[in-house]
Amino acid sequence: MTAHNIRHANTRHADSRHGDASDGAVGGRLSRVDGPAKITGAAKYAFEQQLDGLAHAVMVEATIAAGTVRAIDTRAAETAPGVLLVLTPDTIMEIKGASDWLGNPPTQKTYSPLARTVTYSGQHIAAVVAETFEQAVAAAALVEVSYDETPAIVDLSDPKAGDGIPIDAMTKEWGDAEAAFAAAPLRICAAYNTQREYQAAMEPHGLIARWQGEELTIWEPSQWLDGMARTYAEWFGVPFENVRLVSPYIGGGFGSKALALAHSAVAAASAKMLGRPVKLVLTRPQNFTSYGGRAATRQTVTIGAGRDGKIQSIVHRGVNETAIDGMWVEPLASVTSIMYATPNFSSKQNVVRVNTVVPGAKRAPGENPSAFGIESAIDELAHELGIDPLEMRLINYAEEDPEVNKPWSTRQLREAFAAGAERFGWARRTPKPRSMRDGKQLIGWGVAAGTYPVRRAYGEAVVRILADGSVEVESSSIDMGQGTYTILAQTAAETVGVPADDVVVKLGDSRYPRAGVAGGSRLAGVMTGAVYKAATSALDQLVGLAISDPRSPFHALQANTLVVANGRITAPRGDGPDVSVAELLASVGRDRIEATGDTMPANSTAEDRYKNYTTIATSVPHTEGDYSRHSWCAHFIEVRVDEDFGTVRVSRVVSALDSGRLYNPKLAESQWKGGIIMGIGQALLEEGIVDRRHGRIVNNNLADYLVPTNADIPDIEVISVGIPDLHSSVLGGKGVGELAIVGVAPAIANAVFHATGKRVRDLPITLEKLI
Amino acid sequence: MRDFSYVRADSIEAARKAAALPGAMLLAGGTTLVDLAKCGVAQPETVVDITHLKGLDTISVDATHATLGALAKMSHVADHAGIKSHFPAVSEALWQAASAQLRNMATVGGNLMQRTRCPYFRDPSNFSACNKREPGSGCSAIGGVTRGHAVLGTSRACIAMYPGDLATALVAFDATVHLGQRVLKVDDFFLQPGDTPEREHDIRAGEMITAIEIPGSAAARRSTYLKVRDRQSYEFAAASAAVGLELETDGRTIRDLRVALGGVATKPWRARAVEEALKGKVLDEDAVRKASGLAMEGAVDHGANHYKIELAPRVVARAILKLGETA
Amino acid sequence: MIDQTKSTTIPLHLTINGHRHELEVEPRVTLLDALRDRLDLTGTKKGCDHGQCGACTVHVDGERVLACLTLAAQVEGRSITTIEGLAGADGTLSAVQAAFLEQDAFQCGYCTPGQIMSAVACIREGHAGSDEEIREYMAGNLCRCGAYPNIVAAVRQAALEVAS
Repeated sequence: MTAHNIRHANTRHADSRHGDASDGAVGGRLSRVDGPAKITGAAKYAFEQQLDGLAHAVMVEATIAAGTVRAIDTRAAETAPGVLLVLTPDTIMEIKGASDWLGNPPTQKTYSPLARTVTYSGQHIAAVVAETFEQAVAAAALVEVSYDETPAIVDLSDPKAGDGIPIDAMTKEWGDAEAAFAAAPLRICAAYNTQREYQAAMEPHGLIARWQGEELTIWEPSQWLDGMARTYAEWFGVPFENVRLVSPYIGGGFGSKALALAHSAVAAASAKMLGRPVKLVLTRPQNFTSYGGRAATRQTVTIGAGRDGKIQSIVHRGVNETAIDGMWVEPLASVTSIMYATPNFSSKQNVVRVNTVVPGAKRAPGENPSAFGIESAIDELAHELGIDPLEMRLINYAEEDPEVNKPWSTRQLREAFAAGAERFGWARRTPKPRSMRDGKQLIGWGVAAGTYPVRRAYGEAVVRILADGSVEVESSSIDMGQGTYTILAQTAAETVGVPADDVVVKLGDSRYPRAGVAGGSRLAGVMTGAVYKAATSALDQLVGLAISDPRSPFHALQANTLVVANGRITAPRGDGPDVSVAELLASVGRDRIEATGDTMPANSTAEDRYKNYTTIATSVPHTEGDYSRHSWCAHFIEVRVDEDFGTVRVSRVVSALDSGRLYNPKLAESQWKGGIIMGIGQALLEEGIVDRRHGRIVNNNLADYLVPTNADIPDIEVISVGIPDLHSSVLGGKGVGELAIVGVAPAIANAVFHATGKRVRDLPITLEKLI
Repeated sequence: MRDFSYVRADSIEAARKAAALPGAMLLAGGTTLVDLAKCGVAQPETVVDITHLKGLDTISVDATHATLGALAKMSHVADHAGIKSHFPAVSEALWQAASAQLRNMATVGGNLMQRTRCPYFRDPSNFSACNKREPGSGCSAIGGVTRGHAVLGTSRACIAMYPGDLATALVAFDATVHLGQRVLKVDDFFLQPGDTPEREHDIRAGEMITAIEIPGSAAARRSTYLKVRDRQSYEFAAASAAVGLELETDGRTIRDLRVALGGVATKPWRARAVEEALKGKVLDEDAVRKASGLAMEGAVDHGANHYKIELAPRVVARAILKLGETA
Repeated sequence: MIDQTKSTTIPLHLTINGHRHELEVEPRVTLLDALRDRLDLTGTKKGCDHGQCGACTVHVDGERVLACLTLAAQVEGRSITTIEGLAGADGTLSAVQAAFLEQDAFQCGYCTPGQIMSAVACIREGHAGSDEEIREYMAGNLCRCGAYPNIVAAVRQAALEVAS
C-alpha cells in the first residue's frame, strides 16, 4: 500500500463544466484534486489499511483524576475470548524517553505511556489486544483497576489551584501602563473567560503499527510526519530512517494530530511485543482525554482611553490551565499587544496546574482567546464612549506593529473593515442595545477583528517530469482538508508549464522529501515555495536539454530560452518547432527529469535539515528582519436572540479577510468559512463540563459536547481583501486556516450585547445566561 | 459490548416468548439498545430481533383516532399526511427528534422505551452509583453536573430526565399503548422514579408494545410541538411543550387545552394545572403567561438546571400563543 | 427462527451495493464494523460509534440509517448501499457527488461519505425544498471542518438536477 496517488485527469467530472484552463494556475479556483477519491469512498485514511494478521487494541483509562494505581487485575481479561495481550505499566516493554517538539532532549530516560501515578481522569492505565475489535472492547471492560485516590485540582476555579506559575516569556511591557491607566479620563476593566474546548475532528485519533525486523511502519493521521517519525524512532531506539509514517488523508486535525501520543506508543509497543500489526483507535470519549483541547483561559483587560476614544493604556493579565505533569502556554496577549495603537502596555500571564491531560493546540491557539478579551473590551469601551464600535477600531488603528515598532509587511485590515461593513450594511445599525427586533427575536449586530501571525519555516519537494509529459510532485507534507494536494498541483503546473490535470501530487509518506509541521498556517507558504523552487529547477533542466542536447529539435535554433506552456515547448518567437514535453524527452532519450527544491538557507547541514523537519525550533519569527507579518480579518455578525428563551442563533455573517495572495480562492474560502463556523461553536455551544467531585469531563461525546450542526449555520459571505505579500512567502500568501476563527466569538458576544443589552464575558453564551 | 446470542423472531408470539426469557431484550430500531450495550449499560444475553416481523408498522389515521403499529418508523409517522393534518404536534415532535437517520431506524414502540441521557447513567465504568442501573447504589447525578436533569417528578433516588419528544405529544392527547392483553394510557405507562427508578415503564415480562392509539380531537388537530434547545437541531430539549388548543365559536374563548412538557421531568409531563387555569378563559397573552407558570408547580432544581424552571413556562406560553395566532 | 448459542459466530449473507457477501461474525458486530473491518468497505466512516455524528450513514432498503447502531445480523435480507455503490458502474458520479465536488462541500473528507449518503436520501425524501429544510434535514451529519454552507449549496444544486 503506498500513499495517495491520484491522476485527477481521469476523475474530473461535472466540475469541469464550470471550470476553465486558468483554474489550474496558482490563484485559480481548481476543484480539489483529492475530491474524487473522497466523494466515492475510495480515499483510504491512515488506519483503514487492511493488513494480514491485524490485531486490535483498546485502551483502559483511569477513572480517578489524581492518585496512584494500587493494583490492576487482568486475569479476567487475559482469559477472555480472543485476547492476545494485556498491557499494564508492569508488562509493557521498555520505551525510551523522546525529545520534545522543540528538540529539547528527554528529561526521563524511559517513557511510560501507561501510568502508575494518575494525574487526570481518562489517563491510560492498561491496554488489551485481541483478535477482533469486539473481543478487545469486551475484554478491556474486564480489567479491574484499584486506586489510592488523592484530592484533585479540578479546574481554574478550584480553591486549591492558586495563582499559578508566572511565565516571564509572556510578559510584554512598554510605556507606563499602570500610571497611564490611572490618569485616563475613561477606564474600563473586565474579566473574560473561555472554557475547555475540544478539536473534535470527525476522524478519531488512532493508528496501525507494524514492525518488520527493526523497521516500523505507522499508518496514523498526522499533521507532522517527520516530527512524529522522530518520536517513534527515539522511543524504540531505531534510526529515524527506519520509521515510516503514512498518512495519505487526515480526517481533520485542527492542531490535535501533530504529535505521537501515549496510545501511539502503546500500539507500536504491542505490535513489537506480539510480532503482529496492531490497530488502535481511540473511542470518541477517549478523544476528550487522551490529548488536550484548548486550555480554559481567564483574562482581565483594562483599558484607559481619552474622550476622543484614543487608547492611552492597556493592562492585560491572563491565566491558562495546564497539566500537573505537562506545560502548555496559551499566549493570551498575542492579539492584545498588536491590534491597537497604544503608548502604554503591560501584559503578564500565569499558568495554573490542574488535573487534566496537558492542553494542546486548537485552531489559533493564543490568538483565539486573546481576541475574545481585547475585541470584547474594545466594544465595551466604544459603548461607554458612545462611539460606533467600528469607528472605535479605526480611531485606534495601529499603523505599525506597536509591540516591535516595525512596519507591517501588509495589513489590509482597514480595507477589511470597509469591505465587510459595506457588504453587511453596517451603516444601518442603530447604536442602542435592544433597538432592533423582529417579533420575539431581538436582533444584534456585532463586529470584531482578528489576526494571526505568518509563521515561516523551510520545506523540500521533488518535482519530476515524466516520459509521458506528466509531472509528479512528492513531499512528506500532508492534506487534512486545507487543499495541499491541489495547490501544489497548481504550483507545479504553472511553474513547469503543463495543465494541472497532468500533475500528480503525492503526499503523506515520510519517505518523500521532508516537510515540517502542518500547523500555524505555515504549510501552504512553505510548500508552494519548495515546489516552486523544485519545479523551476526541473523546468531549467528541461529547457537546458532542449537547447543543448544535439538530438533535440531545438538544438539548431541556438535559442537562449524556450517557452513551455500547456505541456508544449516552443521558441519564444514561435518560429521553431512545437513539440510536447513527452516528445522532447523522447527525442533526447530521457525517461524523466528530476529536481529537488528546498527553501533552506544556503549551506545548511544535514543536521540543520533534520532539526528543521523534525522540530519547530527553526521556525522563523514573524517579526524577523524589517517587517511584522500577519494575516488580518474583520467579522460582521448578526444574531437573533429569542427574548423568551435566550437562545442565540447566528443569522448572518460577512467576513473580510487578508491572507495575502490566495493560491486557490475556492479552497481558501472554504477554510475561512470553516474557521468562522468553529468560532460560532466556541461562542455559543462548546464547553467541556467537569464534574467537580470526580475531576472528570462528563460531556465527553458528540451528543453532549455540542458542535454546530448544519442547522446552526447561516450563509456565510467571505471577502478576500489580501494583496500579495512577498515578505511573508515565496509566492505572496499569508496564513489562511487559523485566521478566520479569531474574532468570531467576540463579534458574536458584541452582537448579543447589541441585541439584548447583556454583556456575556464567559463563553459559551448559552441560554441560561440570557434568560 | 458483551457478546450475546441473536434470535430473529418470526411472529409476535415467538418474540414475546423469547423476550420473556431471563436476559433477553427486544431489538427494534436499535438506537437505544445498541447504543447502551456499547456503553456497558445494557448487557443482554439474548437479543430478540423483531424488525423482520410483518404487519406491525402500519399507520392508520382518520378524524376519530390514529393507530400506529409499534414498528412504524418515527420518520414515516412524522411524514404521514394524516398525522400531519390531524395530529400536527405528533408529527412535529417526531421530526424534531434525533436526526433523519435515527428517525428512519427508530420505531415508535421502541421510542417509548428510550432511556434517559443522564451522563452518569450512561457511564458505568466511571460512575458506579446509579439507582436506575443498580438499585440501591446511589445517585451520582445529585451534586454533580445537572444542567440536563429533571426539575419535575424527581426523587431522592433519581433526577434523570426523560428525553423523548413523541411521548410528550402522546400524553397531551391521551394516547394509549397496546401491550397485547393490556392497554394503558401512555401517561400511566411511564412511571416516576420514586424509590424504584430502575422501573421506568409499566411493562411486564412477556409483554411487548404492539401499537399506539391516539384519539382524535379538535385540540389535537390544532396542536404544535415547540422544542427549545442550545443547538437548532439534533439535540435533546432544554424544554419543550406539546400543546393543543380548541377555541369556542367566538374564536377567543378556550374550550379545550392540552399541555405536556418535555425536557424538564422524569417522564413525559402533563401540565393539567395550566389546562384547567385557562379553560373557559379568553385567550390573551398575559393570562397565558400567568397560567403557564403553573406548569412548574412542585419543581425542584439541582443548581445548573434551575434555568428550566424559568424556561419551561415560557415555552408553554409561546406554544399556546402560537396556536392562538393561527386561525 | 434463528437461534445461536452464545459466543459463537453466525453466518450472514449481506447484499451490499448489489453484491452478495458472505461472512461469519459474532451477533454483536455492527454493520459499520462489518463493512470496515471485514469487507474492506472503508468508505463508510466511524466518527463516534454512538449515533451522534452521522459519519456512518448508509442506505438500508433505500433509507438512510446509521451503520454504527445497526447490527449486521439485523440487515440480512435487506438491500444495503454504501458510498462505494453510489457512482455508476462506469464510474459516473451521482448528481450529489458531482455537486459536492463542484461546491467544495468538504475539506478533510471524513464526514463526506455520510454527508453524501444523507444528501441523496434527503433529496429522495423530498426534504430539500428550501435551504432551511436542507439545513434541518442534513443536521444529523456533523462536519467539523465547517463545510455546511457549501453542503447546502451542493444539495440545493443536486436537488434541482435530480428534479429536471
